[in-house]
Amino acid sequence: MSAGSGHDTMRITLKIWRQAGPDAKGGMVTYTLDTVSPDMSFLEMLDVLNEELLAKGEEPVAFEHDCREGICGACSLVVDGIPHGPQSETTVCQLHMRHYADGATIHIEPWRANAFPIVRDLIVDRSAFDRIIAAGGFVSVATGAPQDANATPIGGEIAELAMDAAACIGCGACVAACPNASAMLFTAAKVSHLALLPQGKVERERRALAMVGAMDAEGFGNCTNHFECMGACPKGISVENIARMNREYLRATLVSRDLG
Amino acid sequence: MLRWIANALTSSVGRKIVLGLTGLLLVGFLFEHLHGNLKLYEGDGEAFVDYVNWLQGYGWLLRVAEFGLLGLFVAHIVIALRLTLENREARRTGYVVRSSTGKKTAASASMFVTGALLIAFLIKHLLDFRFHHEFFDDPSGEVREHLASPGTAAIYILAALVLGLHLSHGFRSAFQSIGASHPKLDPILEKLGPLVAALLALGFASFPVYFLFFGGK
Ligand code: FES
Repeated sequence: MSAGSGHDTMRITLKIWRQAGPDAKGGMVTYTLDTVSPDMSFLEMLDVLNEELLAKGEEPVAFEHDCREGICGACSLVVDGIPHGPQSETTVCQLHMRHYADGATIHIEPWRANAFPIVRDLIVDRSAFDRIIAAGGFVSVATGAPQDANATPIGGEIAELAMDAAACIGCGACVAACPNASAMLFTAAKVSHLALLPQGKVERERRALAMVGAMDAEGFGNCTNHFECMGACPKGISVENIARMNREYLRATLVSRDLG
Repeated sequence: MLRWIANALTSSVGRKIVLGLTGLLLVGFLFEHLHGNLKLYEGDGEAFVDYVNWLQGYGWLLRVAEFGLLGLFVAHIVIALRLTLENREARRTGYVVRSSTGKKTAASASMFVTGALLIAFLIKHLLDFRFHHEFFDDPSGEVREHLASPGTAAIYILAALVLGLHLSHGFRSAFQSIGASHPKLDPILEKLGPLVAALLALGFASFPVYFLFFGGK
């Protein structure tokens, strides 16, 4: 923590969703922190809260985090009604308290979707995403010996588009933001990323059908093109990927030799 | 043998595609409907009578087309209803504090409500004309008589505006659903959507305004 950096400390009121377990009844609980430094990250502020709670013999607030540098997708907090908080294209672990004014009240809730059941407090079970990936979000190849890096030419533009889609960190903010709790942006990012590249094209039909099927089986909602997902995505992934997935799905339905 | 079709038509993406396609075809119908109605403005209503008679002249072919149209409406409505119910069910516990990232619009958030209002209007509209026997005896006169009544005119004007709101999201959204999105296409669609919506809304609203305030003259 950056105590003594010359900034004044802030008083922040937190209203946090507390829920002891998957089936327990949850509710918002209010906490007040008097010495929040503007240099702290949002998660560091929660660390401070948890230290205070532990010192008092109370249960700390359970929340997920890992890299704390915006690349792993573990952090998953809905801050004042927006997944990852008010700063666009920023994971909540990269959000800093200097964006808040002294005396602010902040609401913190978990991702909300039936397909993401609450484990405890702010932690939800996102294994539904793993099952969507397992259904086809990969390239099956017998790799053999490494080939020359330039043996498979890929245009710069395609590489960029694929890379933009591959920037998805699988955090689930798209689902949390969607009024319908739809997982289309996540699934579309994975389908797009692989369908654009020659290595992934080989299995594009099977992949599109299987991943959409797995997504539907998890009980996510359906996309109605609000585009809230794109607004919440910390990696700025475009809904153009959803249109591409729809094309891939339509194409796969027509050309796949799999009779169902 | 047809399992693959059933799979596609029950999947989230497959139904979105059908919803978008049927929506666009219905927009196509509305343009022809507007074109036919515009004949009310030509020469004391005779052009409209000619148009109605010309259409009726197709006999059983017209019936087939009407059933096709009914099919489009039913598919569009049934899918939209199912999707909406599923979407409500997908988040049983909502947020305590809810905010928007600024992408959704009043139109996108009210598609179900505007759709339901349009269904209600459609039923009234069909009862007023299509299933009203006197209509075919004197098409222009019946339209004038119905739309000159303030209550009916108000409903028709309101319905036209609701249609505009529905299409201001629906038109652009349909293209996205069928996979038609491209940096060259998207800026055009973003302008075309509101334009199509405004054109149809103002076009249809013009008839009750004309008959109510100008007595059809
Ligand atoms: S903790 Fe890794 S992205 Fe936030």
